[in-house]
Amino acid sequence: MTMSLMMIRRAMLIAFIAALIAVPWVVPALINKFWVSVIAEIMIWSLFAASVNLLFGYVGLLSFGQALYFGFGMYGVAIGISTFGLSFWPAFGLGIVASVAIALVAGIFAVRLTWHYFAIITVVFSLIFYFFAVSVKSVTGGDDGINFTLPPTFSFGGYTASFSNETFQYFFIFAAVAFCFFLMHRVIQSPLGKAFVAIRDNDTRAELIGLNVYQLRLIAFVMSGFLAGVSGALFAFFGRYASASYMFYHVSGEAVVWAIVGGAGTLLGPVVGTTLFIVIREVVSTHWEHHSLIVGVMAILVVILAPTGLVGLWNEWLARWSAREKVPATRTSLQSEP
Amino acid sequence: MLDTLLLLALNGLIWGLIIALIALGLSIIFGLLDIINIAHGDFFMVGTVLAWFTLNLTGNFWVAFLIVPLIGFILGALIQRIVIQPIRNVAALSIVATFGLSLILQEVVRITFGATPRRILPPIQDTILLFGINYDVYRIFAAMIALVALAGFFLFLHRTKLGTWMRAVRHDRDTAIAMGVPAQHVYIFTFGIGFALAALGGVVAAPITTVEFRTGVDILPFCFMAVIIGGLGNLPGTAAAAVLLAVIEGIIQSFADPTVARISSLVLMSAVLLLRPQGLFKGLAK
Amino acid sequence: MTESVLIVEGLTKRFGGLTAVNKLNLSITSGRLHAIIGPNGAGKTTFFNLVSGLYTADGGRVLFKGRNITGLKPYEISRIGIKRTMQIKSVFPQLSVAENLWVTRNATNGVLHPFRSASSDHATRERVEFTLEQIGLTSLAHRAAGTLSYGDVALLEIGMALISDPQLLLLDEPTCGMSPAETSRTVDKIKILAQTIDIVIIEHDMEVVFEIADDITVMTQGENLVSGSPAEISGDERVREAYLGRPEDEDYVEEAAHA
Repeated sequence: MTMSLMMIRRAMLIAFIAALIAVPWVVPALINKFWVSVIAEIMIWSLFAASVNLLFGYVGLLSFGQALYFGFGMYGVAIGISTFGLSFWPAFGLGIVASVAIALVAGIFAVRLTWHYFAIITVVFSLIFYFFAVSVKSVTGGDDGINFTLPPTFSFGGYTASFSNETFQYFFIFAAVAFCFFLMHRVIQSPLGKAFVAIRDNDTRAELIGLNVYQLRLIAFVMSGFLAGVSGALFAFFGRYASASYMFYHVSGEAVVWAIVGGAGTLLGPVVGTTLFIVIREVVSTHWEHHSLIVGVMAILVVILAPTGLVGLWNEWLARWSAREKVPATRTSLQSEP
Repeated sequence: MLDTLLLLALNGLIWGLIIALIALGLSIIFGLLDIINIAHGDFFMVGTVLAWFTLNLTGNFWVAFLIVPLIGFILGALIQRIVIQPIRNVAALSIVATFGLSLILQEVVRITFGATPRRILPPIQDTILLFGINYDVYRIFAAMIALVALAGFFLFLHRTKLGTWMRAVRHDRDTAIAMGVPAQHVYIFTFGIGFALAALGGVVAAPITTVEFRTGVDILPFCFMAVIIGGLGNLPGTAAAAVLLAVIEGIIQSFADPTVARISSLVLMSAVLLLRPQGLFKGLAK
Repeated sequence: MTESVLIVEGLTKRFGGLTAVNKLNLSITSGRLHAIIGPNGAGKTTFFNLVSGLYTADGGRVLFKGRNITGLKPYEISRIGIKRTMQIKSVFPQLSVAENLWVTRNATNGVLHPFRSASSDHATRERVEFTLEQIGLTSLAHRAAGTLSYGDVALLEIGMALISDPQLLLLDEPTCGMSPAETSRTVDKIKILAQTIDIVIIEHDMEVVFEIADDITVMTQGENLVSGSPAEISGDERVREAYLGRPEDEDYVEEAAHA
């Protein structure tokens, strides 16, 4: 990768982050306040799509059951607050711990399988818990879900910060999601991340060079469950609500579509895919109830025309452009950019 | 009590035969094209909806048994050519594509047919006394049709050139191609047959279930269970598993919540996936 | 002093009704390059798959430097120091050449650091650069391995074997599909490697075998037909028979006769 390419990417990333920080002031002025919360929602779902991407894009395992870990994060928060009367942070912690724990249990079994079998067993696990959540209405509220009142996030003395302040809510979600993406970036660039990619590329070879493929896949699975769990917990805070319907396999499927359409195996691909589809939904659904039709058509068009996803397409285009510019190749590191 | 149990088992058997039709389509698509077809439940749903349209346009439900599978075959062939063919080599993308397909089919049905669930009256209204209640004759008839279709499909696979080609491609794609089997046509045909079988299942089931754009979503996991528990590529096993599962679920429903029945099937399926990925019936049926 | 680096006792592997490796006994002497030859289907690659743990043996055992490694997982066997290459060239296509080496070097560390940047590991990096020089791929260091020519992939495979500091190297038809120039380049590399590492090689090219091997084992039908020096093997009547029985392998006979 050439220097100018890296600079372009870095500049774009900084601009992107700056734009997100400016949202609570700029968006209400330009469009309306409603879109601030849409963008917050997009960030949450992007994190959910990223959990698919970590497994599929970097380890080569296509999970069709991420909604399970999302649901545990969500219910951990909701049940923590409404049943156990927990305050904000313990409830957040409960959601994350619950999703990581169930990911560990599911992963111990699931990562013994690969390919189609892995996709099927992940969806089976999530369906088991979906039906379970639907039937134990007394705990989960079933499809109707649980509504709860959100305790404040921070309170020192007379000052309290809570999600009832929309700007605070936005920045809390932004900070949490950004932190998770940063963690994921670090993991991908680390020795562990390189081992993930090696397994994705050629698992037999990976085993033969001495990588414990089962263990590494399990680690990735749990990490991915963590990302999904954080997104589920955030979504529970965001909606003050948890429902079994979010554990259905369609929710997992949408995240797979978002991640692959955006560009699996790229850090920001899921963000692009999620943004695209949620913006379409928000814009179209006010005029036309059949926005899913557009989602379906776009999913098919992208996999046919741009199988590496939108970010993949963009990267190829950038690479071609920079090759034409004939920038002399500089000494580069092992690092590959997001 | 025994009567209730037998009744539920019979209901399960009938459903199982219909599911077997759908699951066979799923299994041949999976086996031949290496594709997890998320839209397969919707192929069934399209079948029920087309049956409804046929009845309303012609006033004759029986026509649907001919027309709907034919339309299904054409739709399936077109879908293979337009959507599946370009992404044949990337299994993961096929999941995304068929998921998109599923959304498209559901939305198109919502637009044309509407979101309201409807019912079709069985073309045979008679009942017979069975296990102490008046049982719909049509249900028995539905089971017969499904059985005939299953038998016809297996005859087709084993007695015709095209069927032999399909088995050859499933068994060893490269050798089959080297032997001169026109694999492209076989793929198109396979997808068409897969859709047609699901659509036929839809027609058969339409009078005993609701017609609505969501039915595919509910039936898909069940079909996958049959395919996995029966053993991937083991078509008789798939049919047997479909019947077995439906009967078991039917019986469990007699004393427990339907979701309990569903959860038990899913747990059984997980166990099969992890312990006997070749399916329950490996060695029993070839 | 001759010491056995690998001892195989009664090793057996069955696939359904077919016995691919049948009570195989074999001893690989340390410091000598050992070639395994035999007609197609003789069980040579299955034998490698058993030693490297990809297959589980149905019977018998494998001792590596006196330690029983039968039943260990492939990664465990790899970490002990037995490395292998695959008959069909097998690298990580989407990683760069340097990253292929890098990840191989680090694979034997039980713990992979989850957060430290991969590029900040200087020791590994220097070793990668050194290996790149050794195999002559420095100029292609940042190319994706999937875009390399066949010969370069083979070199990369050897580099991956080298950088992991193996004690025993199993090479499965390293020159398969290579041009004569690529073959001789690869043979040279193997000769250099053999000076410091114990190597077992499966090879169909008899010229290569008789050029580099110190010991030869001929396998037929999963069994050790005969082991011995190149001179002993080329004069052995049973070896001729084993090859003569199979018309499609006539070229081997010719090559063996000329060698």
